[in-house]
Amino acid sequence: MTQETSPILTAENITKRFGDQTILNNVSLAVNKGEIKVLIGPSGAGKSTFLQSLNFLVMPDTGTITLENREINPGDKRGLCDYRRQVGMIFQDFNLFDHLTALANVEIGMVRVLKMKKDPARERAMAELARVGLADQADKYPAQLSGGQKQRVSIARALAMDPKVMLLDEPTSALDPELIGEVQAVIRNLGSAGMTMIMATHQIGFARTLADEIIFMENGRVVEQGTPQALLAPGATTRTRDFCAKIAEIGGE
Amino acid sequence: MLKSLTVIQQGMPYILQGVVVNLMVVVFAMGVGFILGLPLAVGQVYGNRPTRKIIGIYIWFFRGIPLLVLLFLFYFGLFPWLGIDVSAFFAATLVLGLISSAYQSQIMRGAILSLPQGQMKAARAIGMSDTRAIISVILPQAMRLSIPGWTNEYAILLKDSAVTYALGVTELMSRAHHIASRTYQHLAIYLAAGFIFLILTYLGTRLFHALHKKLSIPGYTR
Repeated sequence: MTQETSPILTAENITKRFGDQTILNNVSLAVNKGEIKVLIGPSGAGKSTFLQSLNFLVMPDTGTITLENREINPGDKRGLCDYRRQVGMIFQDFNLFDHLTALANVEIGMVRVLKMKKDPARERAMAELARVGLADQADKYPAQLSGGQKQRVSIARALAMDPKVMLLDEPTSALDPELIGEVQAVIRNLGSAGMTMIMATHQIGFARTLADEIIFMENGRVVEQGTPQALLAPGATTRTRDFCAKIAEIGGE
Repeated sequence: MLKSLTVIQQGMPYILQGVVVNLMVVVFAMGVGFILGLPLAVGQVYGNRPTRKIIGIYIWFFRGIPLLVLLFLFYFGLFPWLGIDVSAFFAATLVLGLISSAYQSQIMRGAILSLPQGQMKAARAIGMSDTRAIISVILPQAMRLSIPGWTNEYAILLKDSAVTYALGVTELMSRAHHIASRTYQHLAIYLAAGFIFLILTYLGTRLFHALHKKLSIPGYTR
């Protein structure tokens, strides 16, 4: 599936320490347009920190991040905002703006960041809500929505900014099991539509069917990476397969 | 007994004119306190170390000195020393406003800090600058959470407004004192004054509760 183009987003040698603890140790990753990379690994492996350092919500200590061959300088505030709006971020706990309706949550970035006029922004926001199946919930406030609905609104909010890459930080981990499916379906549709994505997840089955490449992280390092077929093949003696077998044992799948 | 009632009845219009002054002091002081307190709160949460330090000293100063001392300090000390001639009403309102800004900044700071960190992260993630995120995401939520604190601040300011009597502001208390010392009906007059304050506190509290209810976010309980 890898295309013969230069990567759209590249992270090189990202290192992050908190105190004397090394959370990320020289992590590198490159993703091509339309590619889906899935990060898996035990809790505390650094997946979330890595995703958040990709758009500088966590400032990496060292390393460079490049979007479409342009290196990002996080010291340049304007450039940083400009970069962030091109990279969509989905959080584990949704982080919808609690004081705004679903529609206003999707709208606000277009109006306040992209400086779009109110009417076209509203139209686009409605279209994005429809795309995640929530057109009828537009006027609800986050506190009135289920977890799955909140996460879909947050996906709509990110999509409204026309991101070039989407980062998804365990998008289904905070959801009731019965709500996971609706969010996964939305993400799957995004993938089919050609969205470039980097996603951390514990849903191994989901990762297997979605990922072009699985990246296994442990102790702040990339331990293994490869296609799901290669890493999860029956009989493969990879750390990834080992880990997934353990998750499957406790009924995770 | 009958004499007391007559005195209260006759003095009431005069006393009630003072209520207007008290309410003006409260409204202006709250306004000044809000206008100054908001940047203080934002600066204390998001500012750099020197900014936070300076704000900390400001708050320490205005929270640490008794109201009466500050009133005298400004009205009889600072303004004459600067050669500025101000009315007692202006000085009293300003001092109460400065003190209130220190307290209001802490109300708003607490509200900002009580918001989940994810709100700021999500705002940054869609490309908002920190300033934009504070204006569009943080403050609209923090202001709502501040309303109960402001209810309290109103009650405190209302009661403190009686102290401005010491500068010669002709508010309720000074008028009550005036009547009492002329009619010797101290008990009745001061009871009436206290009762008026009770009613004003009650009405103001109701007003803030109504505001709180009106601005509450549907489905959101806290």
